[in-house]
Amino acid sequence: MSTFRRAPQPGRPSILSTLQATSMVDTKAALPAEIMVAILDYLPISDQIRFARTSSRMREMVYDDTRWIARLKSMGCWNEVEARRRFEEAMKRKRAAAARANANGAPTPTAVRQENTTIFDAAVEEERRKKQEAEAAQPPEAKVDGFETLGLNASQRSKSPLEDPAALTDVLKNVRSIRGYARQEFGKIYGALAPFYFDLGRAKTHTEPIVFRVFRDPERQAQMLSNLQTFSRCDWAEGWFQREEKVVNMVSIFEGAVLREFEQGYEFWDVDGRMQRYAHVLHALNGGNAAMELFIHKHPIFNDREALGNPINCINQADRDDITLEPSRAFFELLMGKVNEQSDIISRIFPQAATVFWSFADKVREDIIMEYITPLLDDAHQRHMTSYLRAVSGLFEQCMEFVRSLEPPNNSEGTLEDHAKEIALMVFEPHLDLYLQEELDSFTKYAEKEVGDWEQKLSEQDATVESFYMGNFNRQTDKNDFLSSFKKVVMMPATVLPSFGGSKTASTAPTNGSSLRPAAAGTPASSRPQTPGIGGGLERSGSPLPSEAPQDELNAKAALMANRLEGIRSLFSIEVALSLVHAAKTSLGRAAKFVRLGGHAGEEAREQCEAMFVVLLKVLGQTHVKNGFTKAVDHLSRYNPREISDHNQAGVAPLVMFIELVNVGDIISQMIDVFYEQQLAAPKIADKNDFMDPAGLAKKKFEQMLDESVAAGLNKGIDVLMDEVEYLCATTQLPTDYNPPPPSQEAGLSKDLDIGPTTTAKRITELVSSHTKMLVGSTEKTMLDVFNSEVGLRLFTAVCKHLKRQRISTDGAIKLIADMTLYFDYIRTLRNQDLLAYFKALRELSQIYLIDAKHAKEMATIIADGDRFGGIFRAEEVYEFAERRADWYQVKRAVERAMYGLECQLM
Amino acid sequence: MSENNGPIMVTLQSNDMQQIQVEKAIVERSMLIKNMLDDLGDGVIGQTIPIPNVTEPVLRKVIEWCEHHRGDPPSTNEDESDNRKKTTDIEEWDQKFMQVDQEMLFEIILASNYLDIKPLLDVGCKTVANMIKGKSPEEIRKTFNITNDFTAEEEEQIRRENEWAEDR
Repeated sequence: MSTFRRAPQPGRPSILSTLQATSMVDTKAALPAEIMVAILDYLPISDQIRFARTSSRMREMVYDDTRWIARLKSMGCWNEVEARRRFEEAMKRKRAAAARANANGAPTPTAVRQENTTIFDAAVEEERRKKQEAEAAQPPEAKVDGFETLGLNASQRSKSPLEDPAALTDVLKNVRSIRGYARQEFGKIYGALAPFYFDLGRAKTHTEPIVFRVFRDPERQAQMLSNLQTFSRCDWAEGWFQREEKVVNMVSIFEGAVLREFEQGYEFWDVDGRMQRYAHVLHALNGGNAAMELFIHKHPIFNDREALGNPINCINQADRDDITLEPSRAFFELLMGKVNEQSDIISRIFPQAATVFWSFADKVREDIIMEYITPLLDDAHQRHMTSYLRAVSGLFEQCMEFVRSLEPPNNSEGTLEDHAKEIALMVFEPHLDLYLQEELDSFTKYAEKEVGDWEQKLSEQDATVESFYMGNFNRQTDKNDFLSSFKKVVMMPATVLPSFGGSKTASTAPTNGSSLRPAAAGTPASSRPQTPGIGGGLERSGSPLPSEAPQDELNAKAALMANRLEGIRSLFSIEVALSLVHAAKTSLGRAAKFVRLGGHAGEEAREQCEAMFVVLLKVLGQTHVKNGFTKAVDHLSRYNPREISDHNQAGVAPLVMFIELVNVGDIISQMIDVFYEQQLAAPKIADKNDFMDPAGLAKKKFEQMLDESVAAGLNKGIDVLMDEVEYLCATTQLPTDYNPPPPSQEAGLSKDLDIGPTTTAKRITELVSSHTKMLVGSTEKTMLDVFNSEVGLRLFTAVCKHLKRQRISTDGAIKLIADMTLYFDYIRTLRNQDLLAYFKALRELSQIYLIDAKHAKEMATIIADGDRFGGIFRAEEVYEFAERRADWYQVKRAVERAMYGLECQLM
Repeated sequence: MSENNGPIMVTLQSNDMQQIQVEKAIVERSMLIKNMLDDLGDGVIGQTIPIPNVTEPVLRKVIEWCEHHRGDPPSTNEDESDNRKKTTDIEEWDQKFMQVDQEMLFEIILASNYLDIKPLLDVGCKTVANMIKGKSPEEIRKTFNITNDFTAEEEEQIRRENEWAEDR
């Protein structure tokens, strides 16, 4: 307040008032600084500057940078980042200069001046300021004259930057953000625009303002009006409202006039002439939205919609209950051509071509594509579900492809893919929920029907005799073979929807769409071996697929497999499983297209895809596979070897069947796994690492169910197998096998020649080994090991039991040893050390029968020798075996004496 | 805020010891007094509130304004966010109200500043702004009693520097 010096108050001589004045109530001119600032804010610019001339204090107040930055900001001309950058650069220069000055030792003139200008590079800014002063030095009267005469002698005056119309129109763009110089920058703008602005505010008619007289061509007029509109935002002195309104009015009058010109040009389709010119004018004025709207609104493309094709053609041109997407493809193609043509025109007309183009595309989407697709889908939905489902995904793909093949003008924002997604989403949003629901429903229905059909067929066939085909082929290779073709089929991405898939590579091959029509007629179905009845299901699922090689290969392999696995046809069918997986893949493939949309819709589609997978597993696992296993286990438990008349087969029928089942189950499980990997995990529909993921959970559940079924079945299977073994032992082993009649008889010689194992042993090993081999490769290794060792142990027990029922002579011992060696050799193939020990002991044991009765003492030694049998048999057990000697009662005493005698000796 | 027995009155005392009875609702246009009353509670109602920097005529004038504007919606403080808000016209009653001599005008501004009555302060500032609009620097100096510490050259220099702003 120190500068507000109180003037002497001549009119107030009273002592009292003087006293008051000394304290605080000298009101005369005692307005504090903040009030002065507030008053300044209400003043027009010109008055502020006059205010600055009153005193240095006032000048400081007026010149305050923030005051001017605020005005620049209100016009959007102030860039804080730029200002900071300049500031930092200036600081750097200053520091460098200071360092130089210090080095020189003496304060240089620049250093001195720097103190005045504080942080800015004096030399640079000084120069700038001088230039500006030169500009400002134009006599104001000349300016007014200049404006009025500009039309006449513009060339003469155009040297002066302020009078140069180009400089005037661009003034807002050339503003720099420099701290400490906001006033000067604002001055440039004010100097350029204020005369026009205030003149416009005073103007009575739209012909009067000098703006229109100085600038003759509409482009510059538009630019100036746009500038003035911006400028009006920094005017907040009294009366701003009327002035701004005037400007807005003027702009709208001008806009209307230009728009009329544009429209006329439009009517004459004067693309490069009037349309182009006035679109640019409008763009300069206010972004040109009006022209864009007019252009799109009146565009002829929206009037002859019929020319693009009738959606119902897609239904009418196809067979009953079917749909062909060929007309829609043609529609999209035609539309694409037209839109691309417009793209070219738009970029010729509009400066903001990309914006115009995409709003145009949006309008096309709303008025043409949706008008086309909605009735088509509604109709298809009413007529036939399958064709509806195919139509939705097919049209979606076509729509995406349509947007992808658009040729937007240069420098449009966002990738085509984003636009494609956006547009496709808008088009299909109303249909998406219904579609996804229907897709899931139809798949569920199909799957259930398929399984139901099959079961029904089965019950019809139940009475027929089942012939079991013994697989003596290599399962491992067959399965791998089958799975690899399966994988190939699953990995074929586009074949499910051939509609537009082909056109991805050759953008529009006209013949391609036709492949959507049921190509199944062409599949070489008849040439394949077929399982009666069930093959039909596969055919059907294969029908919408194109006749691609891997598909055929797979079908053929499936048929072959089915043929080989004929035995288990009555339990569950790999073909049913395959056809279900196919159906799932088709549905999933269709629905998965929508996942790409992302966002809410994409998420919904993804969930539906998972739901489909879960349904697949449920139908396949719970109803199909599990029933099969239950039935097989049931068969197994009902098996009684004594009831079967024919035992010449090398296998136990239900067990073979069951093991085949395990094989098929394994194939199905691997199929599901491949399917999961390819269809769900790879396209990120299901998250493998998310243990709460419903698809993953369902898959785990399915595998668990399979394992449990297999385990339960195997348990039963071992029982059955051992039953069979015991039955074989009981029925085929002749008492003379191990106890041949004395050689004194006439046939003795010939018998002695045969020292190989008995038929019983051969049959048993054959039986067991064929079953264990069957499991190889179809079950987990650990489970297989458990199974094998269980089988081995049970076999061991059975053999022991069997042995104790026999009577064995020294002559027969040779055969026995041969038998035991056979068992031992077989067990060795199982590669189980623990098991081997048992059979080794057994082999050792059989030698006690070989010992001649005369060597009872040695026999006793062997019996008592626990080490010999690896701890498997105790002496008592061996003793029991020894009792089975044909001549036991003759040697018993000698042996016992030797044994106990030895024992006594030892003790 | 009003009891059954009429509106609550508070007593203000100007610096020349004059006491003025005012309705509490009216005097609370002054944020200073309102906050003070809020802080002290109803206990002080009966007491006299001294307004030491304002003379009686000015205080009466200010109260007159408050009475007229008692029904106004409270001024929103958010005005500041729109960095410098645009000037609105002074309403007619205020224009008449401000038709006082310059000394009184300044006193009203000071009083409203002190008493923190923002709308009144705004009207005052606008009135002053209108008053000096279009005046020469010399006239402005006279109005605000500013001592010129410029040489003629310096003043001319400022004029030239800001020639762009001159009216035409």
